[in-house]
Amino acid sequence: MLSRRSLVIARSGLKLVLTDPAPMVTTIAMPLLLGAFLIPNARATLRLRGFANATGAEYVIPGMAVLFAFFGITMIGTLFFREHAWGTWDRLRASSATTADLLVGKLTPLYLCYLVQMAVLFGLGYLLFGFRVTGSIMGLALLVLVLVLVLVAFGAMLVAVFSTMDQALTVGSLLGMVMSGLGGALAPSNTLPEWSQAIAHFMPPYWALEGLRKVSLEHGTLSDVTTNLLVLGVFAVIFAGVATFRFNASDAKVGNT
Amino acid sequence: MLEIAGLAKRYGDREVLRGVDLTVRAGQVLGLLGANGAGKTTMVSICAGLRSADGGSVHVAGIDVARHTGRAQARMGIAPQALGVYPTLSVAENIALFARLAGMKPAEVRARVTEVARLMGLDDRLGVKAEVLSGGQKRRLHTGMAIVHRPDVLFLDEPTVGADVQSRSGILDVVRDLAASGSAIVYTTHYMTELEQLDADIAVLHDGRIVESGSIDELVQRHATASVRLRFEGDAPAEPPSGWEAEGELLVSTLAAANPGPAIAQVLAELGEDANRLKGIDLERASLESAYRAITGDTSRKEELDVVAA
Ligand SMILES: Nc1ncnc2c1ncn2[C@@H]1O[C@H](COP(=O)(O)OP(=O)(O)OP(=O)(O)O)[C@@H](O)[C@H]1O
Ligand SMILES: [Mg+2]
Repeated sequence: MLSRRSLVIARSGLKLVLTDPAPMVTTIAMPLLLGAFLIPNARATLRLRGFANATGAEYVIPGMAVLFAFFGITMIGTLFFREHAWGTWDRLRASSATTADLLVGKLTPLYLCYLVQMAVLFGLGYLLFGFRVTGSIMGLALLVLVLVLVLVAFGAMLVAVFSTMDQALTVGSLLGMVMSGLGGALAPSNTLPEWSQAIAHFMPPYWALEGLRKVSLEHGTLSDVTTNLLVLGVFAVIFAGVATFRFNASDAKVGNT
Repeated sequence: MLEIAGLAKRYGDREVLRGVDLTVRAGQVLGLLGANGAGKTTMVSICAGLRSADGGSVHVAGIDVARHTGRAQARMGIAPQALGVYPTLSVAENIALFARLAGMKPAEVRARVTEVARLMGLDDRLGVKAEVLSGGQKRRLHTGMAIVHRPDVLFLDEPTVGADVQSRSGILDVVRDLAASGSAIVYTTHYMTELEQLDADIAVLHDGRIVESGSIDELVQRHATASVRLRFEGDAPAEPPSGWEAEGELLVSTLAAANPGPAIAQVLAELGEDANRLKGIDLERASLESAYRAITGDTSRKEELDVVAA
């Protein structure tokens, strides 16, 4: 999968993404800032519900991480759409890199950025806000890895489906907000109306957040989160499938410079 | 090295290429001429594997571009008409990216980046972000990125647009050197003097086909005419010397003289009194440009108008 050419493209993609640090700052700084305000309330709620040692971070950190990860999807703007505005997309296509090289090369930096985001958020959540894992660390790690895969596949789908950067980014963050909200990133989904609890099961963030809560609060083992991992995996496959089916490297796209 | 046969391309129901046949040998510089909208960029893009054709074939070093696109692309370089550089990457990084994509090792990449920057006159700008380069410098970087992997076939689509006199002759030098080292080069331009300086072979794309090709000398001999116009105060002499025709205030030479000088000397001697009313002399020597005009004829102007109207 990771051909030499896709690595070359990934390397330059990473450089390009890092020259515009705004999305990375959003995905890391915003959850921490907003989280700081939400944690006391979450702590009180969790203690009332019988988690005597809860700090509130077990609930807030994953929720914020997922919500703002969707805002970080703006990185596909730099990775794909801007290439069209710069006139460089066709140059990459004219090189001996294949379409697969291009896709893999462009999505790898996104995957890495998301991994860094999650690692920093969970790390700082631990250091600053008392985020603890009472269950399987492996479970947490796998959940994060598969969640990031879902996010990347979602980004790829946006690239494949939309022809302008503005459309892709607007729809991306709106859908991200809806999916995260219904999935329980802002308030536990079982405190939401019944209709929304029903559709929450169709939202990838629901499965990620539920799994993360199990391993952090409820001593969840790896096998306790197997379903969560599988469902997330299915979402990743669906999104990636749509992306692969719809993506055409020769499509003209409109990006902002 | 490059073989194009029966190439056809339609955009909607507009047929842009209608059976283009063209061969470019190793070491040959082919100047591709054609009016705005004639389909030069379309043709070059298909050759480089960027657009698909509706018919015909392109082979590069014997490799079918449509079938084995990646393999063919490894042998080709293209500097598209539309500028394509990464504004936030440095000059060196822009060039290095394409060196790496071509599979060069790190040491080789470094050496080649320096070399290409020197060729393009950008050696003192290697660490500068491309966005701060001037327009002409960007164009040179853009061209440099296409030659970094020493392609066997190189497409330069209007490489000198916006370049100053020095950059232009720099680019022409690079083209000559590449051809001398065995690359086949397709060079698109609207500046005929560049092709004369390159002593390129010429192909004229018109009405979707290559309507004429050959060396500049051949084309000039076959098609070019020199024309001379004498302009008078008031009407031109009513009974002009033989070989000349009066058209209102103009006396026009009807001789397709390769060397119009003597004809002018002769007519001036024969003018007599009328010489006092002479206002101006227009002389257009037989050149690639006049040959090109003759080849594309009036229809080219009509089409340009159509394009403007559309
Ligand atoms: N992607 C496209 N979709 C539809 N029509 C196109 C497309 N690209 C080019 N055309 C049309 O095809 C014709 C040929 O365009 P092309 O860019 O190949 O011309 P050209 O010879 O390169 O012109 P110029 O000298 O102005 O660069 C034009 O009429 C143009 O409008
Ligand atoms: Mg063109």
